Amino acid sequence: MSLKKFSKLFDDLDSINSTNNKIEVLKSYFLSNQPIDNSWAIYLLTGKSNKRFISGRYLKNLFSQIYEYPQWLIDTCYLKVGDSAEVITLLLKNKTTSKNKKLSNISLNKLLEEIIPELSKLNEEEKSLEIKNIWESLPEDNHLIFNKILTGTFRVGVSIGLITKSISKLVKIDEEIISHRLMGNFKPSIDSYEFLINKNINLEELNSKPFPFLLANSFEDKIFKDSISDFQFEWKYDGIRIQLIKRKGNVSLWTRGQELVNESFPELVEKILYIKDDFVLDGELLVWNFKEQIAFDFSFLQKRINRKSPTRSIQIKYPIIFIAFDILEINGKDIREIKLENRRIELEKYFSRWQNKAENNTTHIFKICDLIYPKDWHDALTFKEKSREINTEGLIIKNKRAKYTSGRKKGIWWKYKVDPMQLDAVLIYARGGSGRRAGLYTDYSFALWKDQELIKFASAYSGLTNIEIKELDKWIRKNTIEKFGPVRSLKPEMVFEISFEKIQISKRHKSGIAVRFPRITKWRKDKKINDADSLEKAYELMKKIS
Amino acid sequence: MRTKQEYLIRYKDGNLYCELADIWIDPSKPVKKALITHAHFDHFTFGCEEYITTKETAILLKKRVGENIKIKTFEYGEEFKINGINISFHPSGHILGSSQIRFIFAEEKWLISGDFKLQKDETCRQYEIVKTDYLISECTFGLPIFKWDKTNKIANDISKWITNSPDKTSLLFCYSLGKAQRLINEISQTNFKGNIYSHGSIHKMNNCYKELGSDIKDTIKIENKNKIDELKGSLILLPPSLSKGSYLKNFKNIQTAFASGWMAIRALRKRSGYDKGFVISDHADWEGILDVVKKSEAKNVFFHHGDSDALSKYLVEKESINVLLFGKKI
Repeated sequence: MSLKKFSKLFDDLDSINSTNNKIEVLKSYFLSNQPIDNSWAIYLLTGKSNKRFISGRYLKNLFSQIYEYPQWLIDTCYLKVGDSAEVITLLLKNKTTSKNKKLSNISLNKLLEEIIPELSKLNEEEKSLEIKNIWESLPEDNHLIFNKILTGTFRVGVSIGLITKSISKLVKIDEEIISHRLMGNFKPSIDSYEFLINKNINLEELNSKPFPFLLANSFEDKIFKDSISDFQFEWKYDGIRIQLIKRKGNVSLWTRGQELVNESFPELVEKILYIKDDFVLDGELLVWNFKEQIAFDFSFLQKRINRKSPTRSIQIKYPIIFIAFDILEINGKDIREIKLENRRIELEKYFSRWQNKAENNTTHIFKICDLIYPKDWHDALTFKEKSREINTEGLIIKNKRAKYTSGRKKGIWWKYKVDPMQLDAVLIYARGGSGRRAGLYTDYSFALWKDQELIKFASAYSGLTNIEIKELDKWIRKNTIEKFGPVRSLKPEMVFEISFEKIQISKRHKSGIAVRFPRITKWRKDKKINDADSLEKAYELMKKIS
Repeated sequence: MRTKQEYLIRYKDGNLYCELADIWIDPSKPVKKALITHAHFDHFTFGCEEYITTKETAILLKKRVGENIKIKTFEYGEEFKINGINISFHPSGHILGSSQIRFIFAEEKWLISGDFKLQKDETCRQYEIVKTDYLISECTFGLPIFKWDKTNKIANDISKWITNSPDKTSLLFCYSLGKAQRLINEISQTNFKGNIYSHGSIHKMNNCYKELGSDIKDTIKIENKNKIDELKGSLILLPPSLSKGSYLKNFKNIQTAFASGWMAIRALRKRSGYDKGFVISDHADWEGILDVVKKSEAKNVFFHHGDSDALSKYLVEKESINVLLFGKKI
């Protein structure tokens, strides 16, 4: 496929908001193009090629050198645009006057397989000459895609799920099958596309199909009226929800987003294969602290999720565990219709059998979740309050007599999350956002009182609505004391409620504390800065936890 | 160097003011005497004792403020005197009737650019180069990322956007005075031959333009009784204020777009919530502003309306032009 054609597809997708319309555009694109083009489009749109050949900063420097353009001016533009590839594209406009657009029909194949990889073999001077040459030989409409591929920042608001859906609708094959086929090393070729749309579904593909997930609702007080013995209580782990399928010698790990993640967790797949029974389990995948038998932070898990084929040392550094809490199928028999308490019995029965046979030491990577037995609802609350100590988010409360249904139906599972910690803090700095939030002040720093001084204690950028962001942005521009590059120091006037999950001592921060996942939960317009909390209060909070 | 008070024109309470003539330019609060550059809502206010402007702006202004206001009008280029200062209006190419205003006092020339563009626009008078010593310029799009395409290219893009989706009703949002008429004029010269509808607020301004001699194509005033089916494949021009809220429920199977210079930035385009953005502006782009600064031969330049830091620094460093500050806390 040519870069030109792909740029057009990008523009089309970029000028539609509705998901359904995007699916229509993709469908008609796939219908009217050759398998090889489709294959390339899928490869790029699913982000399978997001390799960074050069950094955004390097790209900006390069432009500055080539066209003798002041660096500060590029940086000022960047603050408005929020994306290096786009800034350079906008600045390149009308600069490349050469009539000889000899790359106007260049294929993506040639670009990605030859021209761009060749760049890394050149020395600095040659590289800059070559990029200038490419810019001047490409039609202007293609600069954005080229720059984005170069900087590995190609994104178009089309998820892998949307691609899967489009192909599924086009060829009338279940999404799960398409998803399975898209997994792994998808290389753009005629064959890979033909395989993707092949109507003959093989057994392995059928065997890997997951069940729809059952999702929990947020806890409602009315449940207190029910008898506590109607419910099963589990810890709510902060990991990724996984449906683990083993059928006929194949293992599939499915996320809730219908993504197959076998490649990220090969050690689990390998161990599961030792078990003789076939089954489908529902559970949570975590990075596990085996010494203390508690989960590590979600940030540890993040080191694993996006890494395909992790090395041995990564596997050791971030050891994973799969904690099963439900069983949906056993040796080919769908048991979702039986009630939870009986499914639990099955789960325990089979798990102990697997353990007793010591089917190769699976205990180290696979266990079933412990249940909690509160005496009454008051006791349940006490458990909930303890969840933070063992790195869980709260409780999951499940109706013992319910079947495993799909979706978020009420009255089956409830999540009862521990309340976040909160402090009221004063806004003291703001910084411009990037990407979608470019040109707006959206990254904020907050301070707490220490004697008569405001000390910075956290930065946050999420939690405000778009309308509030705009309102605050206006206020920031009017109430700036000083500008330091992209950062503005502000008149201390606005108070916000900041929520966070964890608080610990930190020598790196002036405040002496660090908080995890700080976010804005309320704009306290009703409060004056003197009503904001003190650092002392934060220390007390810390003591209370540990 | 003179102090702020000694300039012929300076900032006072957030507005441009000439003390010697006791006259305000585009004031945002009621005053005795107001010079009006053009009839956009952010350039005039209700309740001034006397308005002074061009003939065309006066008619538009009356539609917006009321027929009973006191207005004195002058032709482009016609000089008049207030307290010994010679004042004249000159075309600024922004919208119909828009002007730059020149002050001459004791052989010192001042020019207030008003909102301006250099691009071709058949619905108003072309920008006129005026020489000056002091220039007060707008700089709404004062960054080099803003580079406008030719108007007919954008018009063709809009035409293709409509005709490529014949089953949809295309809603194009734009300012009801100036931009809408410019778009109607340009789009009617493209291959798009379907119906063009205008919202009431736009329709009113279309009629004003026609009264003033502009020969833009007739459009149909959009009304509730319009059948959804007959709107298929048509273009409907609407003011941006209707883009959010229940008004859009009057239509089925729509695609939306916004025509504005800000649409050059993808993040703004995405955030605005429209499907598509067409980059077309009635303000000058970066090169346009630089061009005007140079051709005006001004030795001293002030900027207002917009973030002028980059533009000022660029002019000082690259063009050695003296850029002054006022109206800002320094």
